[in-house]
Amino acid sequence: MTDSTEARMAKLEDEASNGRSILWMVMAGLGIVMTLGAIAGFMGEHQSNGGGALSSVALAVLVGFGAIIAGLSYAIWRNAKKLKSNGEPMTKRERLNRNIILGLSLLGGVMGVVLSTSSIGTTAHNGPGPLSAIFSSGPIPLTIVLPFVIVWAVIMPVVAWFWHTRAIDEQEASAYRDGGYYAAYVFLIFAPLWWVLWRGGFVPQPDGVAIYLTFSMIWSAVWFWKKYR
Amino acid sequence: MKNQLKVLRAMRNWSQAELGEHLDVSRQAVNAIETGKYDPSLPLAFKISRLFGQPLEEIFDDGFDGGQNGEA
Repeated sequence: MTDSTEARMAKLEDEASNGRSILWMVMAGLGIVMTLGAIAGFMGEHQSNGGGALSSVALAVLVGFGAIIAGLSYAIWRNAKKLKSNGEPMTKRERLNRNIILGLSLLGGVMGVVLSTSSIGTTAHNGPGPLSAIFSSGPIPLTIVLPFVIVWAVIMPVVAWFWHTRAIDEQEASAYRDGGYYAAYVFLIFAPLWWVLWRGGFVPQPDGVAIYLTFSMIWSAVWFWKKYR
Repeated sequence: MKNQLKVLRAMRNWSQAELGEHLDVSRQAVNAIETGKYDPSLPLAFKISRLFGQPLEEIFDDGFDGGQNGEA
């Protein structure tokens, strides 16, 4: 190895995985969504208690929520800057990958806001807060069911096909497969276990949404770990 | 699996993104291969081999020493 190659190698040491920054951004984003949900729940509670002017304690609580959102937004901005400071342009696949993720995140955000502000997201209907109401098994009006079905049954398969054939590379495909294995094993072991324990009278009835969310979260967590570790 | 990808890349003065563009993979994939966290598929390994004009065994090292330490 020549001296100039060694010098270049030393310069290249800074290039590393973006995983940590992306994880912080995702966690901060989730934190913002949850804080917004807490604000919605707090205001809903205020309205159900008669509404009117907010007390100084309630204002302090809202300011606290605002500070949390500001802090989390700062964390996203800072970590986004770290991504840029790697100083490298993205490859075509990465740009497409990023654009699809941004598009879906935007769509998910819009759907989340619509759901949490609609009648099914109110505390009176299905549970103690907007999030639990959204993921409960309560009835949903047709005006929400139809757009959801169109997005999930028509748009998502097209995006998934495009994603897997054009946007991801073999390393990410491998991460997906590993995530699928882990999630499938957890599903195959714990879903029947829950069902049998329920029939034995030890636990509540199996909840399809909880199983689906657990499967999805394990898959996503392993995918993230394998892709960005 | 250990490999010489980072050395070869440094010799060409390419960034991970530039190498990724040549191989049609992401910068993250190049990083994962270089750090030994991901072993490329055979087609990608051949692509790397052709790109740098080096045989596979010069770039990748699977740790096999020819059976001199008792391994068949």
